[in-house]
Amino acid sequence: MLKYILKRLVMLIPVIMVTSFLIFWAMSLTGGDPALMLAGDNAKPEQIEQIREELGLNDPFIVRYGNYMKGMITGDMGQSYVTKRDVFKTFMERLPNTLMLGGAAVLIAVVVSLPLGIYTAIHQNTWKDTAGMIFALFGTSMPNFWLGLMLIILFSLKLGLFPTGGKGGLDSLVLPAVTVGFGLAALITRTTRSSMLDVLRQDYMTTARAKGCSEKQVITVHGLKNALIPIITAIGLQMSLVITGSVLAETVFSWPGIGRLVYDSISKRDIPMVTGAIIMCSILMCIINLVVDLIYAFFDPRIKAQYSKKG
Amino acid sequence: MAQPKEIKNQYKKRTLFQETWRRLVKNRGAMLGLGFLVLLILAAALSPVLFNYEVDVIGQNMQERLMAPCGAHWFGTDEYGRDLFARVIYGARYSLIIGVGSVLLGLVVGTILGSQAGFHGGVTDSIIMRGIDIFYSIPNIMTAVVIVSLLGPSTVNLMIALAFSCASSFARIVRASVMTIRDQEYVESSYAMGLPTWKIIVKHILPNCLSPIIVQITLLIGTTIISASSLSFLGIGVPAPAPEWGALLSAGRGHIRDASYMCIIPGLAIMFTVLALNLLGDGLRDALDPKLKK
Amino acid sequence: MAEEFVLDIKNLAVHYETEDADVHAVNGIDIVIGKKRTLGLVGETGAGKTTTALSILNLVPNPPGVIKSGEIYLEGKDVLKMTPTELEKMRGNDVAMIFQDPMTALNPVMTVGDQIGESIAIHQNLSKKDAFEKAKEMLKMVGIAESRAYDYPHQFSGGMKQRVVIAIALACSPQLLIADEPTTALDVTIQAQVLELMKQLIREKEMSMLLITHDLGVVAEVCEDVAVMYAGRIVEKGTADDVFNHMRHPYTEGLFDSLPNLKERGEELVPIKGLMPDPSDLPPGCAFAPRCPYATEACSQAVPELTAVDGSKTHFVACSAYRNPEFSLRGNKDGR
Repeated sequence: MLKYILKRLVMLIPVIMVTSFLIFWAMSLTGGDPALMLAGDNAKPEQIEQIREELGLNDPFIVRYGNYMKGMITGDMGQSYVTKRDVFKTFMERLPNTLMLGGAAVLIAVVVSLPLGIYTAIHQNTWKDTAGMIFALFGTSMPNFWLGLMLIILFSLKLGLFPTGGKGGLDSLVLPAVTVGFGLAALITRTTRSSMLDVLRQDYMTTARAKGCSEKQVITVHGLKNALIPIITAIGLQMSLVITGSVLAETVFSWPGIGRLVYDSISKRDIPMVTGAIIMCSILMCIINLVVDLIYAFFDPRIKAQYSKKG
Repeated sequence: MAQPKEIKNQYKKRTLFQETWRRLVKNRGAMLGLGFLVLLILAAALSPVLFNYEVDVIGQNMQERLMAPCGAHWFGTDEYGRDLFARVIYGARYSLIIGVGSVLLGLVVGTILGSQAGFHGGVTDSIIMRGIDIFYSIPNIMTAVVIVSLLGPSTVNLMIALAFSCASSFARIVRASVMTIRDQEYVESSYAMGLPTWKIIVKHILPNCLSPIIVQITLLIGTTIISASSLSFLGIGVPAPAPEWGALLSAGRGHIRDASYMCIIPGLAIMFTVLALNLLGDGLRDALDPKLKK
Repeated sequence: MAEEFVLDIKNLAVHYETEDADVHAVNGIDIVIGKKRTLGLVGETGAGKTTTALSILNLVPNPPGVIKSGEIYLEGKDVLKMTPTELEKMRGNDVAMIFQDPMTALNPVMTVGDQIGESIAIHQNLSKKDAFEKAKEMLKMVGIAESRAYDYPHQFSGGMKQRVVIAIALACSPQLLIADEPTTALDVTIQAQVLELMKQLIREKEMSMLLITHDLGVVAEVCEDVAVMYAGRIVEKGTADDVFNHMRHPYTEGLFDSLPNLKERGEELVPIKGLMPDPSDLPPGCAFAPRCPYATEACSQAVPELTAVDGSKTHFVACSAYRNPEFSLRGNKDGR
């Protein structure tokens, strides 16, 4: 099993290289002269040229990329054009905030949607099922940044229960987390419901009942454990949704996370920052995917066996 | 012996389209969705006739700025005095065009990639699928950001950017379908008869994955519309002063305290459009394969 | 009176009420099984056998299944009137069921030992650990190494999976075992092994068994009593000797005729003409009449009742033809 994990981590490397290459290349084409930006409006041509030399901007693309890769390994992804601070450091400072937001969102989503999904599956085709499905439908239909705005209007401005933005105490986490988590909850509810419906039809459920298990036991011990497997896969696939949602929610709520970092850097054309942030994000995604895969193996002994054997 | 006649009745033929339509009509939600979409498309198509772009949509009228919804302005006005109703209706054009355009573009690219991967298997398959996995792992906003930065902000570029994630979706579906059918005998015999690969794909393979593709199209248009509006909200989508719904919300954000209707209404437009698409998509899924429903 | 029998089904009728149609799966059947007796319930697919079996455990899925009438006495108590708690106590403990497809009957994410042990833990009030130990003993009883209790179902072959299913069923030594086509999904050689195992265990534990099957060979191997089912009704019942050697119902005759004769290999196969009727649209009167070579007008007018054959206490047949005392089946004319 450990071997499998190591293997997966090693396989990350080509993925990261390709991704970083693509992003680096794309961003380097976006125009705008960094040297000009750094030097300021009143700089003389010689000064600008000097900065260019310093930054290595006159080197051929491959050399620049090579230097960048070298830098990546040591954690040096250059400096922001705007704040002059280290890109990597800035990213890592902001990362915990986004993880906090994402974590809270996933937590809210799971706590709401798993029971709801199970409930609607058991009471299929009753009004309870319909109500749950309507909730899920609305949840997947609304843009989450709009939900954020609505929440601010209702809960911050009209009711004054939560702050309108910024990172403060726990109460400042609530609205952003709900914004990101709502859409996720709607999705997970649907997946849970269909997974449970699938499982409820299975023969081993009848076997369990024929043994004398109580209905509760049948649903939780036999049903849920099997239903969780596709649900976890689905949640895993939606992790990129959480990051996307974070970008938007952080913008709406002025939450100092990496999402907002990307957005701000784009507006300011801070190319090293954007490049570094996006590459770091894709690395983050790969790690999250690996974690999800491992959780998945934990629940499904058939996969666990596969991973251990392959190892 | 009434048997032959009874048997004939049992197997009375209906085309797939008629069967699907018959089942779809029974679904009230899907019909509601379809109705809304038809109205929306009509409104979007007719908007250049109903409104004069220069005057109504982007023309500024500072005297009437920031008026709440009333008789003269059903949806109120924005900070430049522009009638929000006109802007929202006109904005439907962008959402629909971008939504449909991206998805169709993604469909074509995805089908090509997926069928190549599924049909040839081996190295081709690995390369294509790893490529798709990489794109999938980067949040689609990020890819869109990169592409739009690269190509510059415009409606077409936005469509191209959003087509990427659509393509990944379709590639997966087509590939799975191709792989199940590829080894079946009627494909082998077509191959043996000398039919070119692309003809085999179009004639035999595509019809078999038609159902999931149709459903996916409807659902993806919805998510694409949301993504497009998200990007416009962030300022990297459709450039100003286009009244794209996301852009309207971005503008509204500045006035969240004094003119909150600017934040509410365009969002409702997005939500109802996507809701209609989802209802239709779900209805299609049930209608195309009723076994799945139970 | 009811205490004599382990199982006494009276006039059971079960319908499946779906959007499209009303399926009359079981239409008024009576079955009794005495202590230590084995009854084979024979019939083609769609005859209503599985529904009958599920009804005994009150596990007919509802919706869409509805029990329209009947009483099912298991050791004197009516299953259909039990509360959920009573049912949970009874299932697995007093009556157990083996399902047809061992591939899907086992929970893929639970070890085999846990699945057997679950039944033991519930009914014998043991801790999970103790139950697991007992589960190992059960595995030994069905011929599987004890160490395999820690394995998952996907690690077993089809025949072994079915043995596990048997182990689960017999773990709490129930009075009655219901086996629904237990060997149909298995290879022929494995079939024999599993049947032998079942016969042996039933004898050892002094259990009764209701064996559901469409395979007459299996019935001959294992069962003392036989009931033939067609379109949700019992058309003939009696001891194995009665039904195999002195059959009376045209359908039974058709079943035996359609068996390929292994000795005379050049012979043509003799199928029964036509198809089993659609259970949502049963013909009036005797359901077999449209296919019956002996049918008359009278057959389609009323559903025939089960009547005793020649005054027998065990052998009954439901066929209007026997109102004519001269009537006998083609095969029987030869004096069988």
